[in-house]
Amino acid sequence: MSTFNAIGIAGSGVTVYRKWLDAVADNLANINTTTRTSENAFQARYVAARAAQDGNGAEVAGIRYGNAEGILAYEPESPLADAEGYVRRPDIDMGDQMAQLMMAQRSYQANLAVVDRARESYAAAINLGK
Amino acid sequence: MFDDRSSSALRVAIGGLAARQQAIANNIANIETPGYRARKVKFEEALQSAVARGASPAGVTPSVLTSLEPTRLNGNNVNLDHETLQHIDTTMRYNLAIRALDGKYNSLREAIKGA
Repeated sequence: MSTFNAIGIAGSGVTVYRKWLDAVADNLANINTTTRTSENAFQARYVAARAAQDGNGAEVAGIRYGNAEGILAYEPESPLADAEGYVRRPDIDMGDQMAQLMMAQRSYQANLAVVDRARESYAAAINLGK
Repeated sequence: MFDDRSSSALRVAIGGLAARQQAIANNIANIETPGYRARKVKFEEALQSAVARGASPAGVTPSVLTSLEPTRLNGNNVNLDHETLQHIDTTMRYNLAIRALDGKYNSLREAIKGA
């Protein structure tokens, strides 16, 4: 464990939750992205977190993808529609994404608060004996 | 001169509090990690009994325990309120111990300087 490890540990949490925020933002940005029925629908990304070795914070274990089939929608006026007038829409639940957005945002803030308090005590330690 | 009981007790306390700070940082970093169990650091009882016995506090090492609190649906049991309060408490104790050690060093410096 290094000297200023609490900052690094909280920093690993900040990274994990920022990646989660990015994934949610991307999912929400593509919530209305339609594709041809011959292609996969836009797949929501889910960030899987895990604890790092030896108590060194958190890390991203991998990305899981949502349903590739999506939802078939009848939109004959769409330029992507097939012969029967269908397109694929992503199978993303807005409420679920918004809930994830809040969880990721609050966790991000909690980790930044840890960085702030850890910095305070390290500053005190640095000034020891002055 | 630098290894008297109170200095070495303070050093052990600072080490234990730093370990606790890292455990709390780790818990908050893993607040949404599925299956993660919160960790906590204990050293106060061991330090207290070492001091009471008259043994050297330098032999006291902090122990890391896993929290047995009930878990949420994702198997995680980190409680943000508890961790935040613990972190503020630990930061203040750490600063207090640093200041006490600083006071010891200051009086030693005065003694070295002489009149």
